[in-house]
Amino acid sequence: MSALPLVRALRRPESAAAFSPEQWNVLIAMARAERLIGTLALRIGDGAVPGGVRAVLADARLDAEREARQALWEADRAATALAPLGLRVVLLKGTAYAAAGLKAGAGRFIGDLDILVPRDSMDAVEKHLIAAGWEWVKSDPYDDAYYRQWMHELPPLIHRDRDRMIDVHHTVLPLTARQTPDAEAMIADAVPVSDGLYILSSEDRVCHAVAHMLADGDLAGGLRNLWDIYCLLGEADPAALETRAERHGLLPHVRQARRLADALYGEGRTRLTLWDRIVIARLLARDGWGRETRKGLRFAFYLRSHWLRMPPLMLARHLLTKWRKGYRPA
Amino acid sequence: MKHRVTLRIGPATFRIGSAWSGPIGELRRLYADYPAPSDGPADFTVRLEPAGLLRRWLRPSIFITGDHGLADAAPMSLAHSLLAAEMGMNLQMALGWRRHLLLHASSVEKDGRVLLMSGESGSGKSTLAAQLGERGWRLMGDEFALIDLAAGAVLPFPRLVSLKNRAIDVIAADVPAARMGPLLEGTAKGDIRHMRPRADAVARMDEGAPPALLLFPRFGHASAIRPMGQGETFMRLTQASTNYVALGEAAFAALGRFVDEVPAMAMDFPSGDEAIAMVERLWEERA
Amino acid sequence: MTVDQRYCREREGNILSRTLGDIGLLYHRPSGQTHIVISPVPEILEAMEDDSPVSVGDLLQRLSRRFDLGPQETALPKIAAHLADMAALGLIRAVA
Repeated sequence: MSALPLVRALRRPESAAAFSPEQWNVLIAMARAERLIGTLALRIGDGAVPGGVRAVLADARLDAEREARQALWEADRAATALAPLGLRVVLLKGTAYAAAGLKAGAGRFIGDLDILVPRDSMDAVEKHLIAAGWEWVKSDPYDDAYYRQWMHELPPLIHRDRDRMIDVHHTVLPLTARQTPDAEAMIADAVPVSDGLYILSSEDRVCHAVAHMLADGDLAGGLRNLWDIYCLLGEADPAALETRAERHGLLPHVRQARRLADALYGEGRTRLTLWDRIVIARLLARDGWGRETRKGLRFAFYLRSHWLRMPPLMLARHLLTKWRKGYRPA
Repeated sequence: MKHRVTLRIGPATFRIGSAWSGPIGELRRLYADYPAPSDGPADFTVRLEPAGLLRRWLRPSIFITGDHGLADAAPMSLAHSLLAAEMGMNLQMALGWRRHLLLHASSVEKDGRVLLMSGESGSGKSTLAAQLGERGWRLMGDEFALIDLAAGAVLPFPRLVSLKNRAIDVIAADVPAARMGPLLEGTAKGDIRHMRPRADAVARMDEGAPPALLLFPRFGHASAIRPMGQGETFMRLTQASTNYVALGEAAFAALGRFVDEVPAMAMDFPSGDEAIAMVERLWEERA
Repeated sequence: MTVDQRYCREREGNILSRTLGDIGLLYHRPSGQTHIVISPVPEILEAMEDDSPVSVGDLLQRLSRRFDLGPQETALPKIAAHLADMAALGLIRAVA
């Protein structure tokens, strides 16, 4: 059993109409585990589905609406807090898609607020956010120093009243990563969505999503990320995207993402490489009870994600520190 | 998963999968008389998994998860697997139910009207509901009360009653063994024994009724009754609800209406017998 | 925040209100948060009812016509602090 039923239902929602109750159980459990239930619910709509399914999907749509509302409110609060700085505050990921009403945002689980700001404004941004009620998540000195020195963001902040997290990024990938997307160029070409808030250009949206999925991540939640990319690709100009990806040093990744998106959510006409097939096997590693399968493959990708982001010696030191504290990949 | 069962409790259907046969067998026995689920899909998937690679065989421990789970939930002993299954279902309801306002409260019905009791665990609300359920009231639920968002009625969620510590002896003495689960000793909450509600409470699990009275019981204090202001009641119930925030505007309207219409009182009581007498007295005064 | 800072009410329909006994409840739609409010928050909102932006000083004058707020130099910072808190919750909006 793999997550193919979920991928197929997203691609062709009408194919689920003839599902048996047990097939629905499987589909719903997979969609919840991959955090795609809201997206699935909106894809299927109120079409010809059994009453019990309709109720589950209606719940998911309600949750997605709330997610979007809260995400936009957090963005509004951050914009208000940072307004005196007169910066371009660029919304990233789910909040950006919701703010601009993009297809990728429809039904999407959102979670934390991610923003991108110019690197030289980080100190001022931190100060203004703290003045507006955000606080450091309690962390230990190692994590804090690691974030500040090597990652592409401030250590996460959480709002003391609203209990919501904000991640402030100044680059797209960690400074330790092999690729170095040009964050300044992304900010310069960002497009306004509302008072003081911006989103990346349509090509940069693809580059950013791809950087996170293929150049950075261990592919956890990869089906959702690939769905984002599939939707974002529809809004990007293919030629401009190639140029832009080249500039960010992400061309092979963007091309691979295009193949993967086409294979899973599109027409499936592109030829796949062996590496593509391995990535797909990793993406589909989920069973009909919502459990992760293929633990070995998952672990290999977990190691690879750190390998990609860090020079080997540093990786060894990092993992050792983490493991001493009892951390294990899920 | 290797072992599985589908259960319906009130409006919610659960697909429960387990790495072991034990908990599924217990569930089948205790939920045998519950109305069958519809043939549609389940609302929630619950999984009882081995807590580690070797934990299926070696000092087996259960990790409770499902559609909704807590990453840091402590594993439980296989000897407490029935409790694990119940907790797994509760977890799904607490984190995932959206079709009613869910209050952490017990509820019993008489004369077509509902008495709700809310409070922390240890307040005595579950035991009191279980006792009333054996004495002429219909037990609607010992843990969760479901409030209809549009009409304001209380809907039953009559899962197995989870009796704790001293309550076990008090109640089990009058209940036939067929309705009782195994004694689970030394759980995180002490000794626990599950009890199936009476047959009519189970058979009428789809039948709601309007709320008439809300009590905040507190066990272990001298008898006292204090009317509670609407502001305090509202605040306490938002804290007693697991989905108030998730439901947003619908919950704001439903809870406001509930507090507006249902009188609320804090009730301190020294013993179970005294509490039952106090409840019956309050109920008659209200009627 | 100064005495000159001006505020206006949150857009019509973004806040639902309900009175229960002696407390006021406000449901703020954009954030999905419920606020339990007591005096002087309802009074401030009422005094801002005409939708045009109002400064802290103006508002103090309006409120003083109906309530005894004590000497201006102590009342003004209190009102200013209330307004800043209410703006942080989204119940009112600061305008430039």
